[in-house]
Amino acid sequence: MIITRRVLATLTAVTCILCGALAVQAQSRVSIGVTETIETHNPYGDSVSLQYGIYSEVTGPFCTYSYAKGDFEGRLAERWKVENPTTWIFFLSKNYKFNDGTTVTADDVVHSLMNRVIGDPQSKQKASVAPSVVKAEALDKFTVKITTDKPTAPLLSFLCDRLIVTSKAAFDKYGRDAADREHMMGGGPYQLKELIPGQRLVLQKRPDHPDAKKHPNAPDEVIYRIMREPEQRVTAFLNDEIQIAQFIPPHMRQRIEKNPKLRIAPIDSVEIMFLAMQPKPPFDKKEVRQAVCDAINRDQIIATLLEGFASRLDGPIGPGQYGYDPNLKPKMNYDPEQSKKLLAQAGYANGVDVELQTPVGRYTLDKQLTEAMIPMLNAAGFRARLLTPEWATLWANVQKGTVPFYYMGRGSVQDPSAALHQYFHTGETPRIGYSNPKLDELLDKEQQEFDPKKRRQYLSQAMSILTDDAPACFLWRHKLLWGLNSRIDYKPLPDARIYAIDMAVKR
Amino acid sequence: MTSYLFQRLAGTLPVLLLISFLVFSLIHAAPGDPTLLLLGEETNAAEIARAKERWGLDQPLYVQYLKFLRAAAAGDFGKSFKYAEPVINVIKTRLPATIELAVFAIIIASLLAIPLGVWAGAKPNSWIDNLGTTFGLFGISMPSFWLAIMLILLLAGVLNLLPTSGRSTYGIAGPEQTGFYLFDSVVQKNWPAVWDGLTHIFLPALALGMNMLGILMRVTRSSILEVMNEDYIQTARAKGLREKNVVWRHVTSNALIPVITVVGLELGTLLSGSIIVETVFAWPGSGSLLITALNARDYPLVTGIVMTYTLAFVAINLIIDGLYAVVDPRIRY
Repeated sequence: MIITRRVLATLTAVTCILCGALAVQAQSRVSIGVTETIETHNPYGDSVSLQYGIYSEVTGPFCTYSYAKGDFEGRLAERWKVENPTTWIFFLSKNYKFNDGTTVTADDVVHSLMNRVIGDPQSKQKASVAPSVVKAEALDKFTVKITTDKPTAPLLSFLCDRLIVTSKAAFDKYGRDAADREHMMGGGPYQLKELIPGQRLVLQKRPDHPDAKKHPNAPDEVIYRIMREPEQRVTAFLNDEIQIAQFIPPHMRQRIEKNPKLRIAPIDSVEIMFLAMQPKPPFDKKEVRQAVCDAINRDQIIATLLEGFASRLDGPIGPGQYGYDPNLKPKMNYDPEQSKKLLAQAGYANGVDVELQTPVGRYTLDKQLTEAMIPMLNAAGFRARLLTPEWATLWANVQKGTVPFYYMGRGSVQDPSAALHQYFHTGETPRIGYSNPKLDELLDKEQQEFDPKKRRQYLSQAMSILTDDAPACFLWRHKLLWGLNSRIDYKPLPDARIYAIDMAVKR
Repeated sequence: MTSYLFQRLAGTLPVLLLISFLVFSLIHAAPGDPTLLLLGEETNAAEIARAKERWGLDQPLYVQYLKFLRAAAAGDFGKSFKYAEPVINVIKTRLPATIELAVFAIIIASLLAIPLGVWAGAKPNSWIDNLGTTFGLFGISMPSFWLAIMLILLLAGVLNLLPTSGRSTYGIAGPEQTGFYLFDSVVQKNWPAVWDGLTHIFLPALALGMNMLGILMRVTRSSILEVMNEDYIQTARAKGLREKNVVWRHVTSNALIPVITVVGLELGTLLSGSIIVETVFAWPGSGSLLITALNARDYPLVTGIVMTYTLAFVAINLIIDGLYAVVDPRIRY
């Protein structure tokens, strides 16, 4: 009898150990090699894509942009309405709970917006998340009223995937720094488990979260590992140290494609690449600007240097971006003969000296691509020279308006309104210093127009003026190459945000 | 000795003052504006003006410098623009990783370079001398960023022996106590974490220490060659001592002074040299922090890190001077 009991006890213990082992094995973990770094525990302390994506996942996106639908979708804010041109009402879901079990309420949204994004001296997000917001108030437990200082039709493009909602109660109880560092509360499907600035960030799934229940195959743990060097990301990906590798350079993709367990997923970025021209001599003449645009053979550059991993832009934006008009006229074309004629018309029949400035290493093959543009410009009659200042220097000078001719990218262009205002509206920023009253009028109208159909029309007309007047030559959108292990089912997003809840791990 | 120490300490003050002035003026003279780099693309002029006022950048440069000096004298390098925390705190969290890396780089370099240098010096023009000299030249000539990538490709990629980057594997380490990952793991007797730490540190330490290895090997060799011709070595041989004892006991101990000098100076260089290696290997130390600070034009943080390196350099030199007296009894201060 005693022996039978011992045998049973042993069997039970072994079974328990095996069950435990299986339970441990069942935990799925995905490591992602990322290029940006999270350097601070304060979710509002930086303004980079990775920061917005990760903290949106931890705190639950306020709302999100669906690339499939080409429109914004509710999350924490289930729905919204525009009460009048400067007042928006957001209705919150009642199902979002912080990881301590308390419900996410309108007070938390108001606190996050007013005390953290706008009022916190450490915040770097005011301009990106709430540029025109002057007031937010809770109408009831689950309704928030947001007031702007001017009609802001594209308000959702600032709030969605960017507004991070943290717990007011935790802030009041522990104070800002301790709340962020030790009691990070979120209403999202993942919670922050570890952050080592410059090295890694770890998220853990909250199995009780409604989104987690809807996505049972989403990974239980996600590790974001900072890997700035492409070689390092590719090597780690090949060794299965990481299962997702962000931004594989086109020339390295073959190493990955040789491995049957790995694949490359290309996705059109929402970052638009362009050549900007300050309207100062010689670019004060429309013909010179148009001549630059006609001189660049974008198809050839995309086919050769970029190995096809880019989509040509015929106007400021492309398919999938809000306000894209496939019938936009005029379209930018490659026409070197026309380029020569335009240059002669502008009084530069014998050529003109221009200096093109480019960052190095900030965008895919930036230096090589601009190097390829130099002979194209020279063939059209320019005497072009390439300058490669350090990024911080170039960016500061661009922002001051002292760079006459430069290669640049503008990211996060789901809705082009902010980007168009920033670069082309009179007096908005000195980055190009361009001024066109007709364009200003259209951009003002689109920003104040809440009827989507009319707004798209204004945007289309504004973009038509830009393509014709050519203060910038719109070139392409890069296809971002993601490395994915075959165990992971995931469709990367054009804005490079990473939502682990959308991943499925094959167990 | 005490008066010498005071003399040296007094001498470091003008050095620190000069360095602080140079760093402060150079970083402010460099093109780039922290407000434009840190506040995001949509920032407007009013936001920029507010940030400048908050960070004190609206004041004349000499006022900013004098304020910096006054605070630095009390051990306060100000608040980081990017991290919005006192610079000292930010550096404190990252410095242990850099020190750990530099110490390991020195250990690897010394373990390889000193025996190789002694053998090469003891048997000039032999195959081992030629091998050592070539190896030394190889170490000196190779840029660390290139070597780092090659090591990743070979040892992590082709052979798949070591991890490509980072300081540890998630989930293995115990609670952080001192910030020195390996030390903490040893104290906690967490042997899997010790092994994990060693596998992570090996590649960056090798990439960092390779240059020092070359220098150290060549200095050891020439120092050994010099001492080998001294009269007391001939005397030792005449006494009938075995050549191994002559070389390791008499020659090596007397040839150590230049080696110690190089090790000391190189430790300082390794701290600053870790900037590239840390960036390549995603090593969360003060070197990669400096790159982040420079890219953001985080003036207080850049100045704070450079001043920390300067202080470390000065302190190491002082210690080296003290060690001379220990190694060579003829030296007295």
